[in-house]
Amino acid sequence: MYQYIARRLALTIPVVIGVSIIVFGIIRLIPGDPARAIAGVNATPQFIEQVRVRYALDQPVYIQYGNFVVNFMQGDLGNSVFSGRAVTTEIGERFPRTMLLATIALVIATIIGVSAGIVSATRRNSIFDNASMLVALVGVAAPVFWMALMLQLLFAVQLSVLPATGIGTIQHLILPSLTLGTASAALMARITRSSMLDVLRQDFITTARSKGLPERVIVYKHALKNALIPVVTVLGLQFGILLGGAVLTETVFAWPGVGRLLVDAILRRDYPVVQGTVMLLALLFVLINLVVDIIYAFLDPRIHYQSGSGE
Amino acid sequence: MLKMSTRTNLGRFVVLATVAVIASMLIACGPAEEAAVERDTLTIAIGAEPESLDPVRMTSAPAATVGEHVVERLIYMEEDGSLTPMLATSWESNEDSTVWTFDIREGVTFHDGAPLNAEAVATNLSRFVSPDVGAAYAFLLGSVQEIEAVDEYTLQLTLAQPFAPILSHLSHSFIGIVSPNQLEGLSPEQTFEIPVGTGPYVMDDWSRGDSISMSVNDDYWGSASQIPNLVFNFIPEESARIVALETGEADAIMGVPPADVERLQEDADIDVVFQTSVRTIYISYNNIQEPFTDPLVRRALNHAVDKQAIVDSIFEGVGFVADAPIPDAVFGHTSVGPYEYDPDLARELLDAAGYPDGFSMTLHHPTGRYPLDSTVAQSVQSMLADVGVDATLETREWTSYLQFTSQPPDQAEYDAFMLGWGTVTLDADYGLYALLHTRQWNPNGNNRGFYSNERVDQLLDAARVETDPAERAPMYNEAVELIWEDAPWIFLYNAGQINAVRSDVGGIIHHPLENLSAWDAYFE
Repeated sequence: MYQYIARRLALTIPVVIGVSIIVFGIIRLIPGDPARAIAGVNATPQFIEQVRVRYALDQPVYIQYGNFVVNFMQGDLGNSVFSGRAVTTEIGERFPRTMLLATIALVIATIIGVSAGIVSATRRNSIFDNASMLVALVGVAAPVFWMALMLQLLFAVQLSVLPATGIGTIQHLILPSLTLGTASAALMARITRSSMLDVLRQDFITTARSKGLPERVIVYKHALKNALIPVVTVLGLQFGILLGGAVLTETVFAWPGVGRLLVDAILRRDYPVVQGTVMLLALLFVLINLVVDIIYAFLDPRIHYQSGSGE
Repeated sequence: MLKMSTRTNLGRFVVLATVAVIASMLIACGPAEEAAVERDTLTIAIGAEPESLDPVRMTSAPAATVGEHVVERLIYMEEDGSLTPMLATSWESNEDSTVWTFDIREGVTFHDGAPLNAEAVATNLSRFVSPDVGAAYAFLLGSVQEIEAVDEYTLQLTLAQPFAPILSHLSHSFIGIVSPNQLEGLSPEQTFEIPVGTGPYVMDDWSRGDSISMSVNDDYWGSASQIPNLVFNFIPEESARIVALETGEADAIMGVPPADVERLQEDADIDVVFQTSVRTIYISYNNIQEPFTDPLVRRALNHAVDKQAIVDSIFEGVGFVADAPIPDAVFGHTSVGPYEYDPDLARELLDAAGYPDGFSMTLHHPTGRYPLDSTVAQSVQSMLADVGVDATLETREWTSYLQFTSQPPDQAEYDAFMLGWGTVTLDADYGLYALLHTRQWNPNGNNRGFYSNERVDQLLDAARVETDPAERAPMYNEAVELIWEDAPWIFLYNAGQINAVRSDVGGIIHHPLENLSAWDAYFE
């Protein structure tokens, strides 16, 4: 087990290096002069040159990358060219907010998604099943933007029971986390349902039934435990997606998290912030994947990690 | 039976879970309405966050809007463009306008208790122009050679040569005066987050990405503001900003999309406010490239575009058709246009210029930089098609667009491009010199269309050093007439601003400089 964890950890290193090169490369492939963008439209040519030197944008790309890596190792992500503040400070302020939003969204998604999935599976082809799967389909397909605006219009404008934007109180958290959680809830409902149906068809369930065990015990003890394995995987991945996917939600609800920081930074050509944020999100995603794999092992004793394949 | 009970249990679980979620929402909803009843805070929602509120790091209109409430400058520019005393009570210059003397307001203290005096102002201005500090707008005071505190309340600026717009430049929102304590021990690269100024509001907190909050300055030297707390919220999404206004979370918002105006006007609780801006939107030709070297062609296209239709149908009537290369609020403006919309005349002119069948060209335009910019470009395209000019539209992302249109003359690859310019000093020098003087050709400046007219250059140079407004105005008027005749651009429109305010709020200033000021605001 420890060996497996160590190996998985070692495997993350090339992934992280790859991500850093891609992030660094892509943002520099975009046409346009960052120094000019930073300096503004009314800037004098002298000032643009000054900016170019100040942010080392006059250096060759490989030197810029080298600086980036060396500083990154020391926990220094540079300064935002927009605000002039340390990128670590910027991210440090925003990250807890995104974390909070994603966590609440995941909790909502899990409660709604898993319970809807179980009920659908046990009452297969009932009206509830069909209705909830239809809702789930809409939930997966509905654009976050649209969903956010509809929720704002209903709860903030029409009913005026919830604030539409900003942060501060628990009320502020409800609409964004609902918006963010909806797609995950829908996905989780569908996966729980199919996984549950799959398990319920297996021999050991038939055996359990023939022993005369109560249906409740069969569903929750025997079936659910096994059915949850794919759900846990999805849950873990969803958390990573929610952290990164908060971009749209945060923009519509003016939620000052990492997602909005990233969008703003991209629009402003704020290289250091874009690099830092994407690196952070990528690292998190890799880490969450790792944790999910390990939880897997605990959930399903059949999974052994001695072999190289991991199955 | 067993199966039934399981179903019931599961059903119960779902119902309970749902009830729990809804109940917790409703419980959480309670205090939201209470909070809305409190009326000691004015909330303004703007689309973008200031980059900084340190005068030497400020570059955007949002920064100016927020900063003005906290930090003041020597001279204030009123909505009509007139200059009134702020931290300077009076000023005068020597005979040849190279030495300017300012009387600094007495009895003013900064928010930290430090007194305002000439020394404090000199420290601030020296930092603003210092090459080590590298302020983006240091060029505003580019003519200043020496800054000196003559005595406690007298400041003297010595200029290298006379520079007429110096007073308007000093009124720029970025040349703010902060407490000398704040600047003490600050290295040239260092900056600060929360400025300590002399303004009507004291800045309390900057919640990054979310809001800036301020409280009223009880010791303000002028008439104190009535509303105890002022909050600027940053809501980038237009529709979310409107929702915030409709729910009362915001008392005023900036940047309402024209398409939403009608709906907001129907809301009895909301007033929509239209204000002019100092931003001119134009399409510049590449004036050194065929066929745009011919003034007939340049004029022809001006006649081919129906500017009024653009303002009316795309901007719902908000904004003005340009009647000069600078907006009419700017000193030196004289109304010489607009070019009458007349497709027949356009065709005749093209015919006379040797293009009876028109020609093909590429029209570059930004997307999303100015309100509805690509829609405007499309409508120009179809109007040009009417007179036989086949324009291909090309757009680029903003930063690469700027770079593309900044190439030196021999490398410029464009026929025409669309751009905007805000004459934020309300002085023709800022609008005409930078964009149309021959010395400002790419890459030396912002004359991206390579317009050149010797007489215009002479006039712009002369008006820079002539300090008597009565003498300057005719120079600019002549320059404006010549530029209009030469038609280096398709003159389009001066953009309007659309803000919206809840109807129980009064006294908000909607400034043409795209600032929204709340120091005189009150609740009705």
